[in-house]
Amino acid sequence: MKLLTLSEVTKSFGGVTAVGGLSFAVRQGLVTGLMGPNGAGKTTVINLITGLLHPDSGSIRLVESELGVAAPHVIAQLGLARTYQNVRLISGMTALEQVMAGSFLKRETSLIASFLHLPAARRRMRALEERARHLLSRVGMADRADVLAETLSYGEQRRIEIARALGAEPRLLLLDEPTAGMNAAESHAIGELIHRLRDEGLTVLMVEHNMKLVADFCEHVVVMNFGRLITEGTPAACIDDPDVQEAYFGKARDADRLGALR
Amino acid sequence: MLQRIADFWAAYASTLSYGMVNAFFALATYATLSAGILSFAAVTFGAAGGFLGAQLVLHSGLPMVAIFVLSGCAGLAMALVIAVVFLRLSSHWMALASLALVLITRVFVLNAPVLTGGVNGLSIPQRLPMGWLAVALGIVVIGFYTLHHSWYGIAARAVREDPSVAACMGIDARRIQFIAFGVSGIVGGLGGIMLALYLQFVSPDTFFIGVAFTMIAGTVLGGSHHWFGPVLGAAVFTALPTIMQAIVPDIQDIANGVALLLIMIFLPRGLIDPRAIRLRRVAR
Amino acid sequence: MDLFFSQLLNGCSLGALYALFGIGFGLVFATMGILNAAQGCYASWGAIVALYAAEELHLPFPLTVLAGIAGGAAIAIVVDQLGFQPLRNRGVGMLGALITSIAFWIIFDSLAGFATGQQSLSFPFGTFPAGMFTAGEVLLPIMQLLTIGGLIVVTVGMHGLSAHTRFGAAMRAVGWDPVAAALGGVNSHYVVIVTAGLSGAISGLAGVLGGITTSNVSFMLGQGLMLKGFAAVVVGGYTDVRGTAIAGLALGILEVFCGQYISTSLRDGFTYALLLAFLLLRPQGLFGAKSFVRA
Repeated sequence: MKLLTLSEVTKSFGGVTAVGGLSFAVRQGLVTGLMGPNGAGKTTVINLITGLLHPDSGSIRLVESELGVAAPHVIAQLGLARTYQNVRLISGMTALEQVMAGSFLKRETSLIASFLHLPAARRRMRALEERARHLLSRVGMADRADVLAETLSYGEQRRIEIARALGAEPRLLLLDEPTAGMNAAESHAIGELIHRLRDEGLTVLMVEHNMKLVADFCEHVVVMNFGRLITEGTPAACIDDPDVQEAYFGKARDADRLGALR
Repeated sequence: MLQRIADFWAAYASTLSYGMVNAFFALATYATLSAGILSFAAVTFGAAGGFLGAQLVLHSGLPMVAIFVLSGCAGLAMALVIAVVFLRLSSHWMALASLALVLITRVFVLNAPVLTGGVNGLSIPQRLPMGWLAVALGIVVIGFYTLHHSWYGIAARAVREDPSVAACMGIDARRIQFIAFGVSGIVGGLGGIMLALYLQFVSPDTFFIGVAFTMIAGTVLGGSHHWFGPVLGAAVFTALPTIMQAIVPDIQDIANGVALLLIMIFLPRGLIDPRAIRLRRVAR
Repeated sequence: MDLFFSQLLNGCSLGALYALFGIGFGLVFATMGILNAAQGCYASWGAIVALYAAEELHLPFPLTVLAGIAGGAAIAIVVDQLGFQPLRNRGVGMLGALITSIAFWIIFDSLAGFATGQQSLSFPFGTFPAGMFTAGEVLLPIMQLLTIGGLIVVTVGMHGLSAHTRFGAAMRAVGWDPVAAALGGVNSHYVVIVTAGLSGAISGLAGVLGGITTSNVSFMLGQGLMLKGFAAVVVGGYTDVRGTAIAGLALGILEVFCGQYISTSLRDGFTYALLLAFLLLRPQGLFGAKSFVRA
């Protein structure tokens, strides 16, 4: 089933077309990779899906609901959660507090009940704290729960951001370069976590540069360049596609010419 | 010895009261600041509460508690109207708009003598018992404590630090900020009646740039990232002129300015900074 | 009809003061994002320094004006480097800058009080051109013409600087993102100092001209200009000095005619209501650009 469908989505900034006539679908229950060289428009696509930007034309549908010009918090309520290319944790909060903030949609507490600290509200918050600790341990950050998140290493911060996104119990998780700055072992661990989440019913759209990660853990890949779709299909097919290779590595003719110059 | 304490109390009780009154306005400013909005509108909320409260003291027979509650409600009503109008603007425009609001408030007060006594103001022959003041402040502080530890508190911190990220976590920033204005209105309205009773007088100049300046300075000085900051900041900011007047009476204004400047240079995040406390804990 | 024209000129002259002050204030707000509560002091002290140059040093009129401009610029640079620069280095935002500017406001206003003996001083006769310019039947005070002329010169100059020179582009770049500007080869620190100096110079000029025409050389001068100059910036739009200039002139004219034909007590209210209306309905002002926020 197609969970997320983009149809002819276009977004321009002044004279620059960041995304042009882009159409692809994310199937429910699969891990889909979004690839492309830097500047291809991948993060813009994520921003368009989550509502931080609105498309100039085209449509973005979650199942059958048109996301259109919905505000980001409304889109989040529909079950989308994301991480960011440059980690954006809330300054001043511990790792646990980050995940608690991410769990806002699961609070099941009215404002009055929360303000008066009624017993039911206190119970719910304790339960969510437990859940938050559990999420942190899933990303391997259990022992850092009470540490100021901004003092941790880059890789640790990325993992906390994933835990935070999971706090909302989303049905579609959008990851923007989740393994940037990680070594092979850490990246592999993230890949395995993503597969476990997929097995639990989560759909994942992952922007990634790490070809091995995409090859090992994505079931479907969409490749962009200059804001447009180049190709989509299985990871193996995409990576072997000459257009994709040219986008990433440049023309074979140019490589030869450069070699001749030396 | 007891006489010395009594003398000290006689001399400085009034300053302590004034510090507590200022704490209301500082907390009202903190209420919106903690959700990411710099606004001077608490002055206007104070005017609403102060003038309504003054009229109630003069003409109704209502008990003090009822008057306090109604002043808070007046502030709340004003805040909700202002919020609806202001929240359509982006944050730096809101700061300017709130400044304009303070200026307009004074003109309105001047030109509505039936409500506000116009240029002559209203004289209030009613003292403010310090006990009432302290209890009211205590209740407000408890309110801020509970807000801080509630879902609203978590959401407000997220909205303040990074509104885009907060939105993608499902937090409706406008709704949070609307609530923030409401809190600011109640606390500001209370501050208004407290100030009116403390001075035993209200006039167009009571709720003007002076209050705006004291409340913002107190909030930033004390620390705008935790509710205790504004309380402490208001206390320091009230005590400072008194101290300066005692030590260097001739240049007390300059001394106040210099003290303020030194605090901003060395403690730009204010006296109470939860993040700095946590950073130190990590370093150990 | 004579009354109308002379009131019109009064309004323009007053408005020119508001506009000049507003341009200085808007410069700091637009390029550095700082609500500068100390801006009024630049005007007050511009007037005080100019008065000193005229009375004690007996300098000719053009040089006293220059002295005032230099005084305003100097104080602005001191405030910026002593107060705002440490905050920039530590990444503290607009809030800290506002409080710091309030601290300087207190300090410089107190010093101004001492300088003028807590009084409102006037420029002695002979230190400025007090004559009239005859245009047919109408007598136009030269000082007022100079004030308006000053506004025109500053507006044209600042607009040209901002829109058509590399330094202007550098100013706008630094205002948007100092680090990015530095990466682009802009000496951010130098740009900031020059911007601060320009802001102080222009507000200082407003102070000198205002001090002469209103005979009010004191800390009150700056405070009076602050509120109206602020209104001019908001109504005109702080991204374009021409907007501030026109808004300032309009405010001055409206104020004079409102005071003349309607009532003096409602005069200020009219200005502030207009201010609030603009903030709510058209926050970018008459001529400003709507800024966008990136994700």
